Amino acid sequence: MSKFVFATAEYASGDWESAPALPANLIDSVARYTSIEVAPAGVSVRLDSEELFNYPFVWLTGHLPVRFTDAERRNLKRYVERGGFMVVDDHNHDITGVFHQTATEEIERLFGKLEQVPNDHEIYRCFFTFENGPPHTNHELNGWGDDLLHPHLYAIFVGPSTGDRRRDRIGLLYSNKDYSSEWNFHPETKRTMQQDPTKFGVNLIVYALTR
Amino acid sequence: MRSRAEVRESGVSGMGGGARLGARLRVAGEWALRALVLALLVWSLALALGWGGKGAVERASTETLSEALVRWTTVAGPERVHVAFDHAPSLVERDWLAALVGAGTAVGWSGPSLLPTALAIEPRADPAGGVEVSVAAPAGALVVLRDTLGPLDSARVEALGGVRAYIPRPRATLDAAVGAVVARAALADSLELKRLLVLGAAGWETKFAVAALEERGWRVDAEVRVSPQTTVRQGSVTAIDTSRYSAVLVLDTTAAAYAERIGRYVRSGGGLVLWSPAVDAARLAALAPGRGRGAVIEDEGRPPSDSAPREALSIAPITGLVPDAVVLERRGEHVTLAARRLGAGRVVETGYVNTWRWRMAGGEDAPEQHRTWLAGLVSSVAYAGRVGLAVPPTNPAPLATLIDRLGPAAEEEVEAGGGLDPAALLPWLFGALMGALVLEWASRRTRGVR
Repeated sequence: MSKFVFATAEYASGDWESAPALPANLIDSVARYTSIEVAPAGVSVRLDSEELFNYPFVWLTGHLPVRFTDAERRNLKRYVERGGFMVVDDHNHDITGVFHQTATEEIERLFGKLEQVPNDHEIYRCFFTFENGPPHTNHELNGWGDDLLHPHLYAIFVGPSTGDRRRDRIGLLYSNKDYSSEWNFHPETKRTMQQDPTKFGVNLIVYALTR
Repeated sequence: MRSRAEVRESGVSGMGGGARLGARLRVAGEWALRALVLALLVWSLALALGWGGKGAVERASTETLSEALVRWTTVAGPERVHVAFDHAPSLVERDWLAALVGAGTAVGWSGPSLLPTALAIEPRADPAGGVEVSVAAPAGALVVLRDTLGPLDSARVEALGGVRAYIPRPRATLDAAVGAVVARAALADSLELKRLLVLGAAGWETKFAVAALEERGWRVDAEVRVSPQTTVRQGSVTAIDTSRYSAVLVLDTTAAAYAERIGRYVRSGGGLVLWSPAVDAARLAALAPGRGRGAVIEDEGRPPSDSAPREALSIAPITGLVPDAVVLERRGEHVTLAARRLGAGRVVETGYVNTWRWRMAGGEDAPEQHRTWLAGLVSSVAYAGRVGLAVPPTNPAPLATLIDRLGPAAEEEVEAGGGLDPAALLPWLFGALMGALVLEWASRRTRGVR
């Protein structure tokens, strides 16, 4: 059985590599809290490459405007439809910022309207429990970016929709929380933290691997 | 006035010796013609009443059979009949002939063009529905499957003597035409599918197996082990029995704690799909077709093709096959798919360990192919309750039924003088009768007798 490999999406526009320490911190948390077999190092994978389909979990972030190429759009759509799980995180934490404006435009152009994820969704309970939905980041609490506390995440839901059952599996998760800043610390720093901020990252990975 | 007899006598007595002899012969000929007319009338009557058929073989072909059956049953009542079929008789004709046999008529038949054919259809244990079709026919024969809307598929029989097919949306009846024989079958049961139970560790194989089966329409309960203390559950996993589950899928050793319950479930008729890494747990290996597995042979990273997708997948070959195991698929010398019966249930084991790559990285049809393949594994072992359906008249093995009802085929009997068809004979008899009457009448009139 293959190990879980944390993959960061490379895309033609923007600064995809803006949170270089994040993969190591999430890998460390997955290995620490779960028995999931995880590769010790993450990879970066081009969004327009066939290699993307070898990594069903991909993290995409940045500060700059996002303009996907045609090949990136084709791949992203196929990736989500086939069961891949992508997290898109606004590294600016700013709903008036260029990343949010352009990334959501690209996503909705491909998949339709992003839907609000209810705060009792499985993604907040599949490993650690987050009673109030997505945990706030220090950037939100300190008033940086748009100076807002974002109470919800947004998603593109996929999966079978038959009878009274709606499409309920998250294929693409969109966040304005700026987890890319929150979890982009030097790995040694975790030892000094009273609470591990990456626990929600574990939930994202567990959810991707189990639903 | 003289009587007619006196005139006749005077006509003869008034002649010379030679003329008198000729006249007497002529009168004798007239009596002979009258006798012939009488004989022909008696013959015709006998034929009409069926007396003429006694002892003779009545014959019919496929085209004339329906008409002949009416005659044989109502007026002819022959002792022996022979039918030359150039295609299989209808159910009514077949049963009618069998009824004649029951009434004492010896029915023979021949039909060298009738090929032995049998058709069976079974519902597939798959929410997508469909039926498995099996047709037995001689090697080399062309089998055409069709329903009331027209042809569905065709295939030529290979050396093994049959063809199998999957029909996704069958109608009430299905026909298999093999040469002049058309076998017809109907679904006798529908299946009551239960849920599936998936047991495995958190990983892409588990995730995509559940996703594929749900997309196929299965209702899936799952226990996915995330850590020694944490299991992600989908649905409420309670008793593992055939009243709740159609099949259990075990991806790895995390299900070892359930091995005893799974074993009881399978022996009572349930289905089990095992991924070969699961046999690393001895208690699960005891259920498997292969008691061991080889080291994983990693894929080469190339994307699975639509034509041979499983060639590009990693395998953990199945080893240590138990005596009753059946190998279903190999890659080179490695066993990649095997099955066995266990009590009343069935177990299938797959050596493909990263089938999720097929779905994610395969060609355009890969997600559907992966779903169909996995659903096929499940349906090959799944337990399902059966509900009887109203079945229209069918004829799944026309030749076999014909032999059962009428006996084996026999060459047509040829008898000297026998087997004249009364229907064909009567016009000739009528013609001869009329000819004799006209001759007799003309003979009398030309010698002056009325």
